[in-house]
Amino acid sequence: MGARKFGPGSAIGLAFGLLFAVFPLFWMVSTSFKPSNEWVTTPPVWVSENGTVTNYLVILWPSVLLEQRGGLGQYTEEGEVTAQRATESDAVSGAVADFLTKSAWQSIRGSIIISVLSTMLSIVVGFMAAIAIARYRFGGNVTPFFILSGRMFPPIAIAIPFVVMFSAPGIEATDSYWGLILAYAAVTVPFSTWMLKSFIDELPQEIEEAAMMDGMSRWEAHIKVTVPLIKGGLIATSLFIFILNWSEFLFALVLTYTNVETIPVKLSKYFSATSGQQYGIQAALACVSIVPLVIVGFFIQRHLVRGLTLGAIKR
Amino acid sequence: MDEPLLQLRSISKNFGSVQALRDLSLEVPRGSLIVLLGPAGAGKTTTLRIVAGLEAPTSGEVWVEGQNFTKLQPNRRDIAMIFDNLALYPNKTGYENVASPLKLARMPKAEIAKRVDEIAGLLKIGHILDRLPATFSGGERQRVALGRAMVREPRFYLLDEPLSSLDFMLRIELRTELKRLQRELGRTFVFATPDYTEALALADTVCVLLEGEVRQIAKAQELYDEPADRDVARFVGNPKINIVPGRLARENGTARLSIGSMNLPLPDRMEHGLPAHLSEVEVGLRPEHVRIVPSTATETHRTGIVNDLEPLGMHTTVGIDLAGINLALTVAGVQEFNDGDRVEVHLDTETLLFFDPISGRRVGN
Repeated sequence: MGARKFGPGSAIGLAFGLLFAVFPLFWMVSTSFKPSNEWVTTPPVWVSENGTVTNYLVILWPSVLLEQRGGLGQYTEEGEVTAQRATESDAVSGAVADFLTKSAWQSIRGSIIISVLSTMLSIVVGFMAAIAIARYRFGGNVTPFFILSGRMFPPIAIAIPFVVMFSAPGIEATDSYWGLILAYAAVTVPFSTWMLKSFIDELPQEIEEAAMMDGMSRWEAHIKVTVPLIKGGLIATSLFIFILNWSEFLFALVLTYTNVETIPVKLSKYFSATSGQQYGIQAALACVSIVPLVIVGFFIQRHLVRGLTLGAIKR
Repeated sequence: MDEPLLQLRSISKNFGSVQALRDLSLEVPRGSLIVLLGPAGAGKTTTLRIVAGLEAPTSGEVWVEGQNFTKLQPNRRDIAMIFDNLALYPNKTGYENVASPLKLARMPKAEIAKRVDEIAGLLKIGHILDRLPATFSGGERQRVALGRAMVREPRFYLLDEPLSSLDFMLRIELRTELKRLQRELGRTFVFATPDYTEALALADTVCVLLEGEVRQIAKAQELYDEPADRDVARFVGNPKINIVPGRLARENGTARLSIGSMNLPLPDRMEHGLPAHLSEVEVGLRPEHVRIVPSTATETHRTGIVNDLEPLGMHTTVGIDLAGINLALTVAGVQEFNDGDRVEVHLDTETLLFFDPISGRRVGN
C-alpha cells in the first residue's frame, strides 16, 4: 500500500488552508495582548512589541488594574468596582464607561451554569425521545421528522414567541437562569434526539432485549445496558450541544437584561455606541471563552471511539 | 401434569398491513423439544418474540403454566431466550455475560460463581470467561450465549436459529450437544430453524410454519412421510419431492393413475382413501421412492433418459426425463451413468402421496 504522494502542490494548498483557518485565531490572540493604540492601525501590528495583559485584567481582575492606578475607589469582593470611573490615562482610555470597570465574571458564571444545565437537560430529554423513537417506533415517521420543525425557522422567529411566553404573568422567566436553560434545552433537543437516535439505531436491539429476558425492566435495560454502550455517542452529543449553548447569542440577548448574562452577550457589549470599539478587551474575553471548550475537548477525545459493540452479535 | 407448559391460543400478529402470524395455536408439553420449522419470513422469530413478551400479539393469548401471560412484561415471565444474533453484552466479559441473569436475580456471589463454573464446564468455555466477546470465535460466542440462558432455571427456553451462522461441522456438534443438554437437564426448548435436517434431528415435535400459518404439527418422521400439504412436502426433504400432475380413472372398482403417458394401477388400499369426486390430482414422489431397476419391464417400469447427475458421495441425485416428466431420484453411492443414458425406472406406488391440486392439501391415507 503506497502512501499518496505529497507534492509541492499539496503543500501549498494545505498551507493556504491552514492559514485561512488559523489566522482569525491568531489575530484574536494577538489583539488580546495589544495596548489600545495598536488595536486598529495602518499598517497593522502583527505581534505587539508592547504586549500587555491589561485587557485580561479588565475582564478578569479589574481590581488589580485599579490597584495599579493607585487603588482608587472601593470595590466589592467580587471585583466589581463601585462608583468609580477610570481615569484619562488608562491604557483603555477614551470613553471608558462604567461597565468597563465591571468584570466579565457574571457572564462567565452565567454561561457555565446555563450551558451545563441546559446541555444535561437536553441530553436527558433527547435520550428518552431517541429511545421512544428508535425502540418503540413512537410517532411512526411523523414525530421524528417534525421534531426538527423547530429548526426550520430562522431562530428569531422562535425567540420572539419565547419572549412573549416568558413574559406572561405567573411565568416571568425572562432574565432568569432557568428561563434560558429551558429555552436552550428546547431548541437543542431536536439535535440531541437525532444524534442519539443514530447511535441507538446502530446498537442491536436484541442486546437490550436479552437484558430484559435476563430480568431487567425496560427502564433498567435502557439505563444500564443502552447508556454504557452508547457512552461515546452520549459524550459526543453532549459536547456538540454544549458548544451550541456556549456560543448561542440571539436567545441570550433577547431573553436576558441585567440579572443574567452570557459570554456572547458580554462580548457584544464591548462593541457598541456607548462603549466604543473595545477590540482588545473583546479579544481577551473571546480567548478566555474558548479555554473551557479546549480543556473539555482534550479530556473527552479518547471517549469518542466507535466499535463498542464489537463481538455482541454474530455476523 | 397434563396441562401444557406453554400454550399459544389463536395468535395473530400484524405489522402495519402485513400479517405476520395468522391464528397460530400451539401447545408445548413440559420437558419437550419443539422445533418451529419454516423458511425466512414465515413468522418463527415473531412467534418466539411474542412468547418472550418482546412483541404483543394483535389478537390471541399466551398461556404459561395455566396463567395468562399475554400482557406480562418480559422480565416477569422467567423465560430464557437465545437470539439469532446472540446479543452478548459486548462490554462485559464472558463471566459477566453468563452471570448476568443470576446477578439480576440477586443471587449471592459465591452461589453465582459456583453456578457459572458448573455451566462453563458443561459448555467448555472456562478458558474464555475473563475475556470480552470481541475476542471470541463464532462457536465460543454461541456457547457463551447458551451459557447465559442455561445458567438459570427458567420456565423454558426459546432458541431463535442459534446455530445458523456456524460452519457446518460445528453446527452438527453443537446441535448434538444441545439435544444432550436438553435431555439431561430435563428442560423445555422451543427451537426455531429454517433447516429441516436440524429440525428432524432435534425435535420431539415439529411445527411447520409457512407464511405465518401453522401448516402441520407432527413427529419428525410423520412430517416426512405424511406431510399435511404440498408446501410442507416441498419444504421437508432433500432432494426435493417430485410433484407432478396426474389423473385418476376408476373402472370396475379398480383405480388407475396416469402420469404423463404412463398408466399405473393403484393398490386398492390407496384407492379407497381417495375422495371419489377427485380425478385431477398432484402426485408426490419422494426421490428415494423412484428406483432404477434392471430392464425387465413390468407394468410399473418405464424407460427414462438421464438428464442430470449430482454425485454427493453417499448417494447420487439423478435427474430423469420420464415420458416427458422430469423426476429427481437418489441412488446409493456413485453410479455409472451419463447424460442421455436410457434407464428402467420403477415407481413405488405404495408410497405415492396425493395432493388436491386446488387446495394443496394431501388427500388419501
